[in-house]
Amino acid sequence: MKRWIAGTLAGIAALVLLSHIQGCGGASGSSAAQKVYVKPGEYDKYYAFLSGGHSGQVFVYGLPSCRHITNIPVFTPEPAKGYGFDEDSKKMLGGFVWGDAHHPGLSETNGDYDGRWLFINDMPHARIARIDLKDFTTREIFGPIPNISAAHACPYPTPNTEYVFAASRFSVPVPIGTLSKVSDYAKNFKGIIAGVKVSPEGHMSLGFEILMPPFDWDLCDAGKGPSMGWQFFTCYNSEEAYDSLEIKASQNEMDYVAAVNWRAAQKAIDDGKGTMIGGTKVLDPKQVPGIVYLVPTPKSPHGVDVDPSGQYICASGKLQAEVTVHSFKKLMAAIDAKKFEKEIDGIPVLRYEDVLEAKVPVGLGPLHTEFDGKGNAYTSLFLDSQIAKWSLTTWKVLDKIDVYYSIGHLCASEGNTMHPTGEYLLALDKLSKDRYLNVGPSHPEGAQLIDLRGPKMELLYDFPTYPEPHYAEIILASKLHPEKIYPLAENHDPYAVKTAEEARVVRKGNRVDVYMISIRTHFTPDVIHVVQGDEVFFHDTNLEQDADITHGFGILESNCDMQVEPGETKTMRWVANRAGIVPFYCSNFCSALHQEMQGYIEVAPPGTHVAAVQRPAPSRVAEDAALVRR
Amino acid sequence: MVSYLAGTFRGSERRWIVVAALVLLPVFFLPVLPVWTMSLHAPQYPEGLHLKIYANTIRGDLDKINLLNHYVGMHRITPRDFQEFTYMPQLLTLFGVMALLAALVNRRWLAILGWLAFTGFAVLMFSDYARWLWHYGHDLDPRAAIKLQAFTPPLIGYAKMANFRVLSLPGPGTLLLGFAWLLGPVVWWIEHREGIDAR
Repeated sequence: MKRWIAGTLAGIAALVLLSHIQGCGGASGSSAAQKVYVKPGEYDKYYAFLSGGHSGQVFVYGLPSCRHITNIPVFTPEPAKGYGFDEDSKKMLGGFVWGDAHHPGLSETNGDYDGRWLFINDMPHARIARIDLKDFTTREIFGPIPNISAAHACPYPTPNTEYVFAASRFSVPVPIGTLSKVSDYAKNFKGIIAGVKVSPEGHMSLGFEILMPPFDWDLCDAGKGPSMGWQFFTCYNSEEAYDSLEIKASQNEMDYVAAVNWRAAQKAIDDGKGTMIGGTKVLDPKQVPGIVYLVPTPKSPHGVDVDPSGQYICASGKLQAEVTVHSFKKLMAAIDAKKFEKEIDGIPVLRYEDVLEAKVPVGLGPLHTEFDGKGNAYTSLFLDSQIAKWSLTTWKVLDKIDVYYSIGHLCASEGNTMHPTGEYLLALDKLSKDRYLNVGPSHPEGAQLIDLRGPKMELLYDFPTYPEPHYAEIILASKLHPEKIYPLAENHDPYAVKTAEEARVVRKGNRVDVYMISIRTHFTPDVIHVVQGDEVFFHDTNLEQDADITHGFGILESNCDMQVEPGETKTMRWVANRAGIVPFYCSNFCSALHQEMQGYIEVAPPGTHVAAVQRPAPSRVAEDAALVRR
Repeated sequence: MVSYLAGTFRGSERRWIVVAALVLLPVFFLPVLPVWTMSLHAPQYPEGLHLKIYANTIRGDLDKINLLNHYVGMHRITPRDFQEFTYMPQLLTLFGVMALLAALVNRRWLAILGWLAFTGFAVLMFSDYARWLWHYGHDLDPRAAIKLQAFTPPLIGYAKMANFRVLSLPGPGTLLLGFAWLLGPVVWWIEHREGIDAR
């Protein structure tokens, strides 16, 4: 009997071991296809937020499958989501119909992504948007930030999301709108660095501005760990050229990394220092010492990236074949010893040799560096169309991989935090050329997913993107918990109506307010009487509480079509320009009787008497009451 | 016969009757254990829509189900329509109290009376539930967008209705009630196995 039991146990153990061995073998020997395959109905491990460049949007992908999940409209009206069509989002866009979104920045707590918000800049209009990751919707657009001309070094949040930043890429005379001869560039043009405070609720307000020399302030990154409290900015054009920059701004051997002590800058503002420019207090380093220092850095550096430990500041001189690594410790020691080479516009300039830690010969056209949390850095090489992997301890290049083609930014999984996960790297290419099916002269951009888990980088997947991602950030999906609907009980919109009894049309003078409800599959009211010339505000509340039952509200022959999510109220303005019949309908396929979800606006000629209050018929009120629990 | 009814229980039998009383507790008032559950699955509802019927209310995806039901003209399901919810908890409590009394005063007739009343109550409630189901499937609004043949949702078990697969099952509440009910025959069986005392 005992022998029989022992035999059975041994058999089970052997089976378990065998299946385990097979499992391991399958994983290590699995192909790239298997590594990106996510079974139908299953979820990706990561969200990737790709900036949409001049599309003014953010593109959301799932990794490792590289499936495009959705777009988040930010700086551009987008009819698919009704963004920029309802009054609230229209107001937030501030009259602009385009933006150039470059750098997504996930909110952080203790130097790690916390999944609350995504910030992104609109470079040409010096604006920063905040997307709430509870609903993947743009909730705030701050700016145009005064005195900032082209916010490219932006937003790059600090480790506890205390600040986001902006800096002028194209220096101009300040305040913006000041006239000067362009030839008086060196005398009259100014760079500006702005620190934008983020409240615990996410609201942005201007913290401080610093007057900088008229260089082209390019990119930035937040210090972390030991370098917490500092923000690092690169610049080119320390030559102060105002024309033919291609040549004239490429002459100096050294440009700079500016190190900004944002705590000191904020304190100076709080102490009342600074002069008013463009309606805001601006600090002049000549008068307020200790807020900013310049570190010489070779050859028009582009990206500046602080490593996960916060000790190293990696700047990529795009016209040389090296990444320049500065040491934060050495920077602090040199500042403490006041070892300055000179001053530029009141800003102390440190000596290159005093701060330099290493020069890493990565290859041609280095632009940006990301990290894997395992002691390695990855630098994109625009000219070589490659990524170089190098060591943060030996400063040696360990591996290179081809990408297709002319890579700009790259982005590692949780790569801009203190704890990168070191699993995936996304290459974001400027050109795709022959990589995908030909769609004519306007090519898609290219992206490659690269596996970082092995000793060598491995190309897993190659996929096109709509123009034009610059930077991206990748966050573990487990950190996000978006809502599937808006709870009606929490809808406090002043124009919300939650029962058919409250649904009505109210006119005062020529302003008409339509308090409307949408529920499968009708609008209440669905016949509306107005007079030509009326300014009509449709306040539509979607009473659905079931996931994915969005109702649209589109008015024929107009620029009006909004999308209302379950539990949400939105307001849209429409003017009755001419007498006649104007149909409206649900523009988002909602249910089996979606086609029937329509209504009419009867526009009477001017001077016609129309009731001051129109209410739905009692039978309709009763029908709706049967659908909605009160 | 009269002497049997007037008789008393032994300790083990009394304990079982107390158990029957206690078992009824969690089903009483609070919506803790549902007495019946219904789940509806459709291609676009892989997660299912769920109804849970308690002694005193209905919970679950009522709003979603009502909204879908309006396509076929089914009455809105609302807890307020059910008079049963106003007396079911009280009656269940009464049966619990009767069982407890029967054990405490130790009178066989009281226990048998309680058990018979409980049995009658269960039969009534089942037929009442069946009547409601019939009502929902037959009293359809003639103006409904989708005209269905009158139907009766399953009292227990599985049925396919339009694009929904409906599974109707007794909840843990009913299982407990059933267990309490079964303790009647169990006590009777124990008595007869050990021989009735002529006390």
